[in-house]
Amino acid sequence: MATTEVNKTPEIVQPKPSTISNLFKNIWFLYALSVVGFLTLWDIAAVTKITGEFLPRPVEVLYQLVDMFLNPLAGKTLLTHLWFSLRRVLIAFVIAVAIGVPIGVFMGINKYFRAFFKPVFDLFKPMPPIAWISLAILWFGINETSKIFIIVIGAVVPCIINSFNGIRLVDESLYDAARMLGANKRQELIEVTFPASFPAIFAGIQISLSMAWTTVLAAELVGAREGMGFIIIMGMNTSKPAMIIGGMVVIALTAWLISVSVSYLERWICPWKVDLNNNQ
Amino acid sequence: MISANREAKVTVTNLTKSFGDLLVLNDVNFNVGDGEFLCIVGPTGCGKTTFLNLLSKLMPPSKGNICINGEIADPKKHNISFVFQEPSCLPWRTVKENIAYGMEVKKLPQQEIEERLEKTMKLVGLTDCANLYPNQISSSMEQRVAIARAFAAKPDLLLMDEPYGQLDVKLRYYLEDELIRIWQEFKTTVIFVTHNIEEAVYLAERVLILSNKPTTIKAELKVDLPRPRNFLDPEFVEIRKKVTELIRWW
Repeated sequence: MATTEVNKTPEIVQPKPSTISNLFKNIWFLYALSVVGFLTLWDIAAVTKITGEFLPRPVEVLYQLVDMFLNPLAGKTLLTHLWFSLRRVLIAFVIAVAIGVPIGVFMGINKYFRAFFKPVFDLFKPMPPIAWISLAILWFGINETSKIFIIVIGAVVPCIINSFNGIRLVDESLYDAARMLGANKRQELIEVTFPASFPAIFAGIQISLSMAWTTVLAAELVGAREGMGFIIIMGMNTSKPAMIIGGMVVIALTAWLISVSVSYLERWICPWKVDLNNNQ
Repeated sequence: MISANREAKVTVTNLTKSFGDLLVLNDVNFNVGDGEFLCIVGPTGCGKTTFLNLLSKLMPPSKGNICINGEIADPKKHNISFVFQEPSCLPWRTVKENIAYGMEVKKLPQQEIEERLEKTMKLVGLTDCANLYPNQISSSMEQRVAIARAFAAKPDLLLMDEPYGQLDVKLRYYLEDELIRIWQEFKTTVIFVTHNIEEAVYLAERVLILSNKPTTIKAELKVDLPRPRNFLDPEFVEIRKKVTELIRWW
């Protein structure tokens, strides 16, 4: 009898068939519910005209997007408009990173440099980039330069702040560890300061990118002939709310895609940091 | 004041430190033999940290000298390593790269680094997690990495500041055995500071007992027991009691 008991295969416990409550614990179901729920509410609000005449239904926005994708608006299709904005964002973003990160890093590692730059930087820091629009137009006229100038102003600030703080907030014990193994100043800088501040600098770059998107819109709202901001203004001038919302959706999607790529870049440069996030 | 038939590697003479009127360290004299494992115990708040900071030359003494091989200790010339209470691995380096770090700083030839790496990793049993990052291992493991790194760099003097202070008793015994294994392999001169008397007697060849502030060396005890030591061995218990008697300030 004992042997039969030993040989008996243990009964496999079948998972219970999913019930409603299990469904509500499924993350993917909740994701879908969130999106569908939002679209439904939006549609109901649009159909019942709760918020007035100017809320299009989601499906109208979709039609508008397809229309702009196929038929040129002011001589350019949606993708061309997007490309104009994207190009401004990217050019300005690269300039902002190229200026901002070194300034922030030098401010972090050299106290004389910090003393020299900080007062002026503190003065400029709280100034909203949009406040520069008028001046930029007076200086550079209504062309690419003025737009890129404004975006750079907006995007450079988070780069500087985060690089500066990232360097200053490096854990002192890491320096001790390197010093105790005999590292000199230069080795400390390369082996400790830079890698330790990478994540903060990257966070700054991410913020800077979203600032660039915010400011490109503002820059394009004033006297642009192309770009996503122009589409939004056109939507307003021609009373086409679907065009405005379509423009907003495209901007959101593009900004999100770029930000995802930057995270991948970070994962590639700082593999040790990402593992930490995954473990949490 | 030194074990027989061993040359003095580190000589501390008249070491004194005061902060303003507060005399913290008063005329401390002792030697450490080449390759000796010296434990320093003292009551809490006896100026242990100051003591270590002076030894590591992070802080200048008010009076007196620390000499290594007969020369005044100089971080640029001598190689004084430190294992801190808190694990201090560089998060962006894997276990293996962390252990190699001290050797890289000293610009050792790559082949030498590889050889020592392999030996050290085997000694501390970290070969399996060679490619993990510090945030993927436990903090006790991280401390083992820090210790392996310090030994692998073959310092003239290795200072250890209660490296196992945060660990539970069982793991501590295990790691103490491991520490002794590495030390025997590398023959490093170690000064190990702790306020755990049992740990000191378990590890040390010689124990220095510090007094209350202003700190002086109150007594010195040789521990000549075979390894691995046994906590229940009457001789061990006897020495432990002696140290406890010497250390009590109440």
